[in-house]
Amino acid sequence: MVSRRDFFLTCGGAGCALAAGVSAGTILVPAKRAFAASSPRAYPARFWKKLPNKRIECGLCPKHCKVEDRERGFCGVRENRDGEYMTLVWGQPCAVHLDPIEKKPLFHFLPGSRAFSIATAGCNLECKCCQNWDISQSKPEDVDFHFMSPEDVVAGAKEYDACVTFTYSEPIVFLEYAIDTAKAARKAGVRATMVTGGSGEAEPMREALKYLDAVKVDLKGFTEDYYQRMCKGKLDPVLKTLEVILASGVWLELVHLCIPGQNDSEAEILAMCRWVKAHLGADVPVHFTRFHPEYQMKNVPPTPNATLVRCREIGLSEGLQFVYTGNVPGLAGENTSCSKCGKVVVVRRGFELLDMKIKGGRCGFCGNAIPGVWT
Amino acid sequence: MGALATMIATKTDAAPVPLSAGKPRVVVVRSKKALLKNGHNAGYDADRGALRAMVDAGLVALSGQKDATSALAKYFRPGERIGLKVNGLAGRGAATHVELVDVISVMLGQANIEGRQQIVFDRFARDLKTSGFSSQPRGYRCMGNDESGHEDALVQMPSSASRLTRVLTTLVDGVVNLPILKQHMLAGMTGALKNNFGCIHNPNKMHLDGCDPYIAEVNAVPEIRSKQRLVIMDALRPVVDNGPAYQPGMAEVANVLIFATDLVAADTIGLGILEDLRAKRALPTLTQAKMAPTYLAMASKLGLGVSDRAHIDVLSIEV
Repeated sequence: MVSRRDFFLTCGGAGCALAAGVSAGTILVPAKRAFAASSPRAYPARFWKKLPNKRIECGLCPKHCKVEDRERGFCGVRENRDGEYMTLVWGQPCAVHLDPIEKKPLFHFLPGSRAFSIATAGCNLECKCCQNWDISQSKPEDVDFHFMSPEDVVAGAKEYDACVTFTYSEPIVFLEYAIDTAKAARKAGVRATMVTGGSGEAEPMREALKYLDAVKVDLKGFTEDYYQRMCKGKLDPVLKTLEVILASGVWLELVHLCIPGQNDSEAEILAMCRWVKAHLGADVPVHFTRFHPEYQMKNVPPTPNATLVRCREIGLSEGLQFVYTGNVPGLAGENTSCSKCGKVVVVRRGFELLDMKIKGGRCGFCGNAIPGVWT
Repeated sequence: MGALATMIATKTDAAPVPLSAGKPRVVVVRSKKALLKNGHNAGYDADRGALRAMVDAGLVALSGQKDATSALAKYFRPGERIGLKVNGLAGRGAATHVELVDVISVMLGQANIEGRQQIVFDRFARDLKTSGFSSQPRGYRCMGNDESGHEDALVQMPSSASRLTRVLTTLVDGVVNLPILKQHMLAGMTGALKNNFGCIHNPNKMHLDGCDPYIAEVNAVPEIRSKQRLVIMDALRPVVDNGPAYQPGMAEVANVLIFATDLVAADTIGLGILEDLRAKRALPTLTQAKMAPTYLAMASKLGLGVSDRAHIDVLSIEV
């Protein structure tokens, strides 16, 4: 068990960058159970197959990187060593952070609870707007990291009465670690959640979903052009992942970061909302969040509030039941209303839970079931 | 000689060939004595004497100077700190030959660039070690980018962004680009331009679409471009297929070194040699194999050099 005394606050290396990119919250590094390291350890990876001449093909994500001996895939954290594929990030998070669950954002999953959030280096996309590019676009060697076993992570979460959340960079690239940690969490009665871009293959995602309690997916745009141009990815695999998550029964929420002039046209938002309703259902919460200039998009202004309000209006008019605005504390669209009586059942401001009128998963006013995980 | 048939045959003791106005010069030096088969070291040892003769001849022909020391003085000033950018990723057998780097290091010393002012660098210290490089007591230092670290600041390119190795930004004034010529399953070929992927922190993000336009854009970064002084491409035993990893059956002895100051031109001529070696094995051309290195044309378009063979002044030398 990790006691609070075992943790100390630090604000150096990747952690400092993370704090700048994500929030000014607390960076937690377990002092006793983890130790700083300079070169990453390699552990056998899963979800790959051998090709001739010691080459391998990664099956973790749709890129299906064909990797030569001694080379790495697009994510930069999985390496071919003499014809065996290894992960260089298992048990080696570069960010450990305690967040409100609303920051993920997960609005229909244990409101007011905390998320013991971890990330490793690496990502299988390269979004020009990435807030955490310091770690997501880095190799393990480029960041400060610490050894932390799945059990250590779970103990940390338990100590803070938090769920475990895989987040900040891209959990798909550290999926073996995430799966092992989520397994340990379930065994210990701790919930596990994931924040992902959703660009994964179905088989590994299904394996992870067995041990997850909620997933938030960034649906970054709704055109192939956007994904290719802005993220070095593809839209279609993300949509398939969303359907895989829905089919698994694991709680799902979506976020769409609205970037002025890039993915915020009425036509694109409309098409996205219609697809969500048709393929995922009206009960899946959708968050339209404000963009802040970051990484390769420092020349683009923040999203106007009016855009977020308009996106929310489109979602609601298309029949989506739970549509939120985000990253603008105080803007209309942070609260949850009952889809039957229309009364506000969860009151929020920013990441703060102010009031909740949901009891046993039902509206405290009319008794209507509110979809989500409330207890 | 195939694609090299148009080259001018020049003897090493001939008078310097004047530089052609408006055309970058590329010198292709061959020596049958460069690699000696002896059953270890990936099957071959490089002969330092032969390599020295090749480098002497190559530098003289490239620079138009009377000797190699004068040639080096044309590219480097005494007291400058020089980076020797090798390619050690694939390990011994498909890495820049240590013997070649040793020869060049000694020659730099003779041109008043002392060993302690020379840094042999690549992405990982591990790769340098497994390729046979180690810091010399009175010679060059070896350094992986994982040891030097990268700049915090991002360099923005049209299609991507990177952080530069501190070796390049703070530790050296100029670079000798020492790539190894190889076929590359994603880029088509790897040579001088692609070697500069070893100057950034995230080449893994730049192997999409045949590395095009990424290779060209990386080479257009002012901090990288401005420090490229000289290319000496190791084409002693190129990997002709299934590259870039080393596979003994795919490495073909060519006994060639390529000298240039124009990276695009160097790669263009290297590509011709690679295609000749592939043709000897009845392998399809890279274009036929859908692996044409289209980034060469992009590099030319960005003004980094010449990718049209007709506009390259090629000298071929046998020593």
